Amino acid sequence: MNPFKLVIKELFYRKVSSLVILVTVIAASTVSVAVYTLSKASENETRKIMREQGLNLYIFPKGTNLLDFYSVNNTPTFPENYIDTLAESKTFDAVRHLTGILQLKYPNWTDPNGSSHQIVVMGYKDEAMQRFLSKQETMGFDVEQGTVHVGSLLSVNIPEGEKFEITGNDGKQYEFEIAKRFEEGKGMLDQGVAFNLSDLQQVLGMEGQINKIEALGCVCHDGRINNARNQVQNIFSDLEVTEISSIADARENQRLMMNKYGSFIIPFILIVSMLISGLLFYSNVTGRRYEIGIMKAMGKSKSYILFIVLLKALLIGFAGSFAGFFAGSFIAEYFGKEIFSFTAISIKPLWSLFGFSVIIFPILWMLSSWIPALMASQIDAAKTLGKE
Amino acid sequence: MLEIKNITKIYTKGGDKFTALDTVSFKVEKGEFIAVVGPSGSGKSTLLHTIGGLIHPDSGQVLYKGNDVYKMSNQDVNRYRKENVGFVFQQFHLMPYLTVYENIKIAGVEAESKKGKIEELLEKCALLSLKNKYPSELSVGEKQRTAFIRAIISKPGILLADEPTGNLDPENSKILMSLIEDFHQSGGTVLLVSHQSETSKYANRMITLRSGKLL
Repeated sequence: MNPFKLVIKELFYRKVSSLVILVTVIAASTVSVAVYTLSKASENETRKIMREQGLNLYIFPKGTNLLDFYSVNNTPTFPENYIDTLAESKTFDAVRHLTGILQLKYPNWTDPNGSSHQIVVMGYKDEAMQRFLSKQETMGFDVEQGTVHVGSLLSVNIPEGEKFEITGNDGKQYEFEIAKRFEEGKGMLDQGVAFNLSDLQQVLGMEGQINKIEALGCVCHDGRINNARNQVQNIFSDLEVTEISSIADARENQRLMMNKYGSFIIPFILIVSMLISGLLFYSNVTGRRYEIGIMKAMGKSKSYILFIVLLKALLIGFAGSFAGFFAGSFIAEYFGKEIFSFTAISIKPLWSLFGFSVIIFPILWMLSSWIPALMASQIDAAKTLGKE
Repeated sequence: MLEIKNITKIYTKGGDKFTALDTVSFKVEKGEFIAVVGPSGSGKSTLLHTIGGLIHPDSGQVLYKGNDVYKMSNQDVNRYRKENVGFVFQQFHLMPYLTVYENIKIAGVEAESKKGKIEELLEKCALLSLKNKYPSELSVGEKQRTAFIRAIISKPGILLADEPTGNLDPENSKILMSLIEDFHQSGGTVLLVSHQSETSKYANRMITLRSGKLL
């Protein structure tokens, strides 16, 4: 008789015990999937918050006076194609999200009312894709050509529907659509305007030049910042690396906390659930000793008996992981939207996790039934079936 | 066909030793119907299980067609039980979640020709109309007849019946014994443990055990 059919029939016959084991798997799978999905949401949330705050590692031309960087309009520059060289380098892997920026003070911007202001202009190059590293979601600003994003302090001086106008170094007047008006609280950007790099280079007559690369990726506690410095200077000895530590620390702490949380709670839930399931399987096997005894008397091998007990665990594990994945994803989506405001929309089932969970949970539940299965295969048929 | 040579089996419980079989020896020829009798605790069931390859004796041999069952590999012992031995117990030990038909089929019957054989035996044992019923829906007599078909479906050389009528009323006992007798008449060898003299009358030889010794 087909062992699969035998196991299914037994599962449905012992509905309550099968259901209790199934619920245990579903609970473990649900919690694991929900915690993992939420930890991923937390990472995304951190990334998006970081995007709002800017990147954490700055690469400047060597000798740049950082004290004056934000208040002068003549900081040293370097060719924007440096960033392409870094992105193409096999040996440059300590940082990610390379974004070329031209940032200067623009001393005499006239608003639509005719008032003059000192503002900060920032031109953003599209984030460079590092050829020899895995692809990642971009973090930098995406400012379309012909548009600008204006800071809150400027925004109040530009009526709705008006374009942003600025006088170029060539004396010409340039106009840009305002694609975004930032809320207040963006620091430097409150008094700034973000351009597409090529637009700003044209306005300032600085084609092909940038004065800063922002990047992300230093995990400062393990010395990767030093690694990043060495890697940059091996390629461009005229550049140097500075870390904005408060942001980096915040990101690092957040990541460590979530990793610790996830690496504790998921194994804990799994181990407890597997122990419960193991006891339930043991109870199931004990209740089936006559069946197992008669199977042995009919010449069924130990490995056959082991197989049918493990197959049952495999099937329950599979069904539980399947249901648990959707339940966990639903819970993560339902509660995650309340918790993670930035990434609420993007909290969705992690399909890569689906494949993983429908493989790993059946295996784990087979492991949890391993000892009961071994016990079943060792049942003494003569003792069980005999009456003397 | 079957030779039991100096079989000894001693159980130990709580430090006390109990000799279930004490140097038991006898031969069984093909087609014999042997009744094993004796008081409770005399070693009858232990003897049957030892012959069936379920209890490893402490010493002695069980030779089936010249091969020592307890020197066979695990795989060969399983094959010995599957192909050469059929068990019928007092407690029927049917799988509660399988139908009558499935309980018989689980004995390893897959070939189409044997599926026809199941139907034939079900008909003979007046179970054909019950073939899709579960054990909980059967009378004790029907359960034991199902267990009997399960034991003989693979055409074993030896049928080992451990008090098969112990739970049956006289009428069902008679039906079952006539089925066992049919198996014997068709060339099968039967070893039957029984307390009841009624069932022993079907045997053409009787073996008596007392305190593990063959009298």
